[in-house]
Amino acid sequence: MQLRDFFTLEAINLDLAAETKDEALKELVGLLGLDEKSRGILFKMLKRRENLGSTGIGRRIAIPHCRSLVVNRLRVAFGRKISGIDFDAIDKKSVQHIFLIVAPPLEVSNQYLPVLGRIAQFGKEPDVPERLTQIETPEEFIALLEDKGV
Amino acid sequence: MHPQLELLLELQDMHAQRQALRDEPLRKVEEEVFDLRPVEALELLDAKIEELTERLDPTVQRRYVDLSETLDRAVAPVLNGICYGCFVATPTAWSSEAGRNDRITVCAHCGRFLYYVD
Ligand SMILES: [Zn+2]
Repeated sequence: MQLRDFFTLEAINLDLAAETKDEALKELVGLLGLDEKSRGILFKMLKRRENLGSTGIGRRIAIPHCRSLVVNRLRVAFGRKISGIDFDAIDKKSVQHIFLIVAPPLEVSNQYLPVLGRIAQFGKEPDVPERLTQIETPEEFIALLEDKGV
Repeated sequence: MHPQLELLLELQDMHAQRQALRDEPLRKVEEEVFDLRPVEALELLDAKIEELTERLDPTVQRRYVDLSETLDRAVAPVLNGICYGCFVATPTAWSSEAGRNDRITVCAHCGRFLYYVD
């Protein structure tokens, strides 16, 4: 399993319009191409997860995630905001890089945990935050994943 | 979408979140990567689940509570005409219809509430 297999170019936005955490979550959910009702439910679930504790893991990275019935397979998206978004992250720094992960409650292949783990591992690589700020196209984002072998 | 079905979906998703906080490997990730405190998180979730359950109409609520007590989940997704609660085919007349999530339907085989996923 490799992360690059889960990311489609349409689900990568390197210039989010969002200014707030809520707007960012909505914008990322919007990258998944779901209908309006499903988007609303998913946003609520992600908010609920954030209410339990921020998914901003520090080093300008956040990984909002949840399981939801509104998706029929594991979905991921990536959004970037160079100027930063306040995400109540553990290190109190604003977040630039946001990885969204959503999985259905019943997953035959059980990919949710490994994907979550790999993205967290990717985010911990010392040079990753810096390199994420430097990429210019969605293709370069995929190439970075490949380069890191995640 | 039927407003009560929307509530049921939210409830089911929250149960999934609850389960995630109890399953060892995922809970470990939540604790170690996200610095989450599972005990407090579970309390918050349970309060929210209770609040949402009370917003269900009496008949829906009764079925929901009964199903939750006896089965692993009260709401099942339908994919390609199959109820993913019991893995039995649901009548195709329902699953191919537009607006099929605009009403409350239950699986004729297992009794779970059904949510049609594309
Ligand atoms: Zn069934």
